[in-house]
Amino acid sequence: MVDLNALTAAVEAGDRKSAVSLTQEAIDAGISPDVILGAMTTAMTEVGRKFACNEGVYVPEMLISAHAMKEASVLLEPLLAASGMAPEHTAVIGTVKGDLHDIGKNLVGMMLKGANFAVVDLGTNVAPEAFAAATTEHKAHIVGISALLTTTMVGMRDAVAAIRAADPNAKILVGGAPVTDEFAAEIGADGFAKDAATAANVAKELLAASA
Amino acid sequence: MRHRDRVAMALAREVPDRCPMQISFTPEFAERLRADLGVRGMLNVARGGEHNPHGGGNTYELERAIDSDLILTSVGWANSYYQGHGTYTDEWGVTWQEHPYETPFGTGHYTEMVGFPLAEDGAIDSYQPPDPHRPELYHDSERVIREYGDEYWIVGVTVTTIWETAWALRGYERLLMDLLIDPDLAERILEIPFRYHLAAAERLVSMGVDMLWTGDDIGAQRGMLINPATWRRFFKPRMAELVSRVKAIKPDLLVAYHTDGDVREVIPDLIEIGIDVLNPVQPACMDPAELKRQYGDRLLFWGSIDEQGTLPFGSPADVADEIRLRLETIGRGGGLILGPTHHVQLDTPLDNFWAMVDTIRNVEYASL
Repeated sequence: MVDLNALTAAVEAGDRKSAVSLTQEAIDAGISPDVILGAMTTAMTEVGRKFACNEGVYVPEMLISAHAMKEASVLLEPLLAASGMAPEHTAVIGTVKGDLHDIGKNLVGMMLKGANFAVVDLGTNVAPEAFAAATTEHKAHIVGISALLTTTMVGMRDAVAAIRAADPNAKILVGGAPVTDEFAAEIGADGFAKDAATAANVAKELLAASA
Repeated sequence: MRHRDRVAMALAREVPDRCPMQISFTPEFAERLRADLGVRGMLNVARGGEHNPHGGGNTYELERAIDSDLILTSVGWANSYYQGHGTYTDEWGVTWQEHPYETPFGTGHYTEMVGFPLAEDGAIDSYQPPDPHRPELYHDSERVIREYGDEYWIVGVTVTTIWETAWALRGYERLLMDLLIDPDLAERILEIPFRYHLAAAERLVSMGVDMLWTGDDIGAQRGMLINPATWRRFFKPRMAELVSRVKAIKPDLLVAYHTDGDVREVIPDLIEIGIDVLNPVQPACMDPAELKRQYGDRLLFWGSIDEQGTLPFGSPADVADEIRLRLETIGRGGGLILGPTHHVQLDTPLDNFWAMVDTIRNVEYASL
């Protein structure tokens, strides 16, 4: 009997080797790929909770968990695709124009994947029109905009306006060191997340509220 | 009162005439300030006249014109910031790219790391770090001590001491993960900048700087970047060695530690290993008044003027209010050098900048 709890524990501990081998065992045992994926998203939810609650998970711990899930997920992806199991929601993320910093944005992407979002990462230095085009192209439910600098943060206003014009229904989430709740509200974003773990939760809440 | 006496008094927890001040600038802000002040001399003799907040060759025209009390002279990897235009590779093998950003006051440029010499696991085996014992590295610091040492408080700078240089060598995410999944490799990488900056620090202290400024960004906006246990394993012993080595050279030397962000979890550790001064005390991350209450008898402070909110986005009155608040809290009874929590950025209005400088210069401690 394959122990999916062990897979959850391996992802949570950032143990890539075990995560991959346990995933393969679960596949070989005929467990449905979405159930296996669920064992991993359970782990990432717990990693995010511990990060947000300051229970011993910091950025490195979060990174190794996300990488363990990423490697193990590679085995699942063809099976999920073959059985038509696509993530229900799509998120487009990127760092705002003028800003090359991406660790925070990357962590948000990892946590969104950990919450079973399809994630389209536009990278850094993303112009407002590129956010808008990707929102339309990928029919994004969530658009996440990141900024580290006070000098680039102000450019989020243009990005929000461009995304709104392209798709009024997409929910826009902003974050990054200098960004505050007040600033997010002022530029017309739908949500603000103080860290990557919170970003995944806020994304889910925004979608639940609009459903 | 001589600038250096003002700093010495404040750091002895005595109350000088006014709070000492240290302000640095990004290159483009320095140009704006130069135009505003009508300074005609070159800001830097080494870089075609362009001011550099880290590297050598600065004439300190602006610092002296605004009445700064401290003069900083830096040796180490941090000097690679703002070192060139376009794409360049520094002597550590780190590749940088100049990158523009827009502000209401014009276009500025940051230099960002894009290439990491130790990105591949085996690269460290053949890596040759630069030599910290080259005499020419210290010529500028010798000049600074000679020309300004009688009047100003001279700070030897070896920031990005361990962690930040190591991440430039390895890549940020890679090194963060190495700490947990390949600790032996992490140790080897961290040793490279540590040994370099330790040698530079010892040399600067032997040359007679008044204070040493060291440190690494280990804080994020809302808590430590890495687990305090990880910091204690990899970084605390090295910083402890550095502090004890430089204080063996000059027992009354003050050592300042720079880290952005919220690092409250390790402040007792920093005090324990002999750190005297904490910089830059980002008020958006840690409450300066609370730090003074908790640690004011054991720790001195440097910075505390908000570069994330008040300076770029506040009004001149907001800036003046913040400085008065600092003087009445974290600066009460001395123990504080006031300054912005980073180089003043191009997005800061000049009116805010002058509100900062004028309030610091004009508010006498005796009036509080």
